Amino acid sequence: MSGFEHNQLPPRQVDDAGMPTVRIEGATKQAIEVGRNRLLVAGAFFAIAFTLVAVRLVDVAVLSGLNEPSVAREAASSPLKKGRADIVDRNGVLLATSLSVPSLYADPKDVIDAEVSARRLTSVLTHLDPVEVAAKLRAEKRFVWIQRGLTPRQQYEINALGIPGLHFQREERRVYPQGSLASHVVGFAGTDATGLGGIEKQFDATLRDGAEPLALSMDIRVQHILREEVGRQMVAFNGIGGAGVVLNANTGEVVAMVSLPDFDPNAAGVASDDSRFNRASLGVYEMGSTFKIFNTALALEAGTATMTSGYDATKPIRIARFTINDYHAKRRWLSVPEIFQYSSNIGSVKMALDYGAEAQRDFMDKLGFLKPVAVELPERGAPMAPKPWRKISTMTIAFGHGIAVSPLHLVSGVATVVNGGIQWPVTLVKRDPEVRALGRQVLSRKTSVEMRKLLRLVVETGTGRKASADGYLVGGKTGTAEKPGKGGSYARKSLLSSFVSAFPMHDPRYVVLVMIDEPKGNKESHGYATGGWVAAPAVKRIIARSAPLLGIHPFDEESPEIRQVLDIQSPPEKGRKRLASF
Amino acid sequence: MIRRSMVLWTILASLFAVAMFLIKHEVQVREARLDALHRDILASQEAIQVLRAEWSYLNQPVRIESLIRRHMDLRPTDTTQLGGYDALPVRLSDASDQTEVAQ
Repeated sequence: MSGFEHNQLPPRQVDDAGMPTVRIEGATKQAIEVGRNRLLVAGAFFAIAFTLVAVRLVDVAVLSGLNEPSVAREAASSPLKKGRADIVDRNGVLLATSLSVPSLYADPKDVIDAEVSARRLTSVLTHLDPVEVAAKLRAEKRFVWIQRGLTPRQQYEINALGIPGLHFQREERRVYPQGSLASHVVGFAGTDATGLGGIEKQFDATLRDGAEPLALSMDIRVQHILREEVGRQMVAFNGIGGAGVVLNANTGEVVAMVSLPDFDPNAAGVASDDSRFNRASLGVYEMGSTFKIFNTALALEAGTATMTSGYDATKPIRIARFTINDYHAKRRWLSVPEIFQYSSNIGSVKMALDYGAEAQRDFMDKLGFLKPVAVELPERGAPMAPKPWRKISTMTIAFGHGIAVSPLHLVSGVATVVNGGIQWPVTLVKRDPEVRALGRQVLSRKTSVEMRKLLRLVVETGTGRKASADGYLVGGKTGTAEKPGKGGSYARKSLLSSFVSAFPMHDPRYVVLVMIDEPKGNKESHGYATGGWVAAPAVKRIIARSAPLLGIHPFDEESPEIRQVLDIQSPPEKGRKRLASF
Repeated sequence: MIRRSMVLWTILASLFAVAMFLIKHEVQVREARLDALHRDILASQEAIQVLRAEWSYLNQPVRIESLIRRHMDLRPTDTTQLGGYDALPVRLSDASDQTEVAQ
């Protein structure tokens, strides 16, 4: 539109309506038309652009707000992000946690005087050797670790020294504040925070991305009592190991579980293989007489024996090259309660022969004794059961030889026998008290009630009298198994002494097992190293100390209601007397 | 007319510009503060975690037991020390009743 000026405008004219109109002709008119068109195009372009901007504005500000996370919510959740989740006991006591700890490293280029720096540094980190530290500070590198995982106090003191060239780096570290108390249950994690044992390994993935702490079924107070008492017996009888379990009989929750010797999970790398071995869940043992609990329960359940029937136990049984004899031999006819009370092998074998191999195998299967116990641990021992299940196996299993199970199997089985016959899957994770649908009825209630009486009888007048904690109506069974020796024969001297018990016996709530590996008799036990001498006193102390913590009050053992539930009606036979035995 | 609306729009536009600048500045200040608070919260959480670990460590049953043995006369509860309301003997009468009888 060059050269288009006002003074060149064509003359004004007036149209019909009297309004002035401009008439433009020729080249000028064409130029204006072009200009107008261009304006129109540009105007339309901007109008569309602004409309788009406006639409997008409304979209972003009003409509998209529903789909996108709001800034405030995003911001609030971010500081809650932590490392590996905590593990706590059933009351919330911290068992394992992840801490961000400072680690000390040096940049040797910046260190002014290696000797002086090393000397001053080792005045705080007293366990380090000044010569070694000085060598590190002289290294031809830009980065050298001095000490990983400092305490906040050490960090403060090192900072206060003001040595140039020393720096801190924060690292995540797994810490077990309770030390070795629950080492086999909690397990341990490696330096890169991967679970390498116990719950840490089993729940590795959950712990990794979990924010909620994992609550175990354990009670750390009961765990302490159990560990102390098992340890005390282990030392007193010079045993090579020990195990103990406290199980909630009505939920299958493991309240405490120890295996001795144990280790400090904070320094699991230096622990010996023996101390890392979980005797309670991984070790399988021939349990001995405690298996008479299952033998008697099965005989009563099958109906081949009753509380008033009995067997002749005068002569030892000879089969193949074996002789089955009684440890507390009575050499007479024994009723079923007496067989149980005096732990008669002869009577037990005769009971087993009556119900037969097939029934025994089925029952062991139902109790879960033929497969690893379904507990949340990677360390689960596979039981050793006879294959094929011969007559001789049936006979030896009657008194707990020829089948090897873990201590956890044993307590789980005893819980089933005493709790009314319901088999609960054993768990280490705190169970919701409302969820009760997991149990399976594998034994009749009637048999269970009769077994309670028998177990109580053993503690009242039989081999387990040392386990009687006043007022808690303890019932149980001793077990003294001879461990298989190197040549496959049984070694008389290396024993496995145990005591498995339940309390209070009129309505059992908890099952307690104490097992000592290879105890040697001492002066106080008159040289005996049997379950009744070694394990039963520990059970008594464990129950007396932990029952108040578990919310069980003492009962009047002579009250008529309790006597009615637990007394065995005397059979008419003359053989039944209330005799004490060792 | 056009000039007047032009003035109005210019004033409005500059008002909005100023308001936007102020709001943006305020948001920046608040975001910086939010970041600082988050850092503080994280630091506090870490400190709390350390304290929780230390609390659990100091509450090790073994340690508490040895401390009690050293400093206190507490002993494990004996079953004879426990009882329920049912075991209490029946109270025959109120103290006020007795004074009435005495009178």
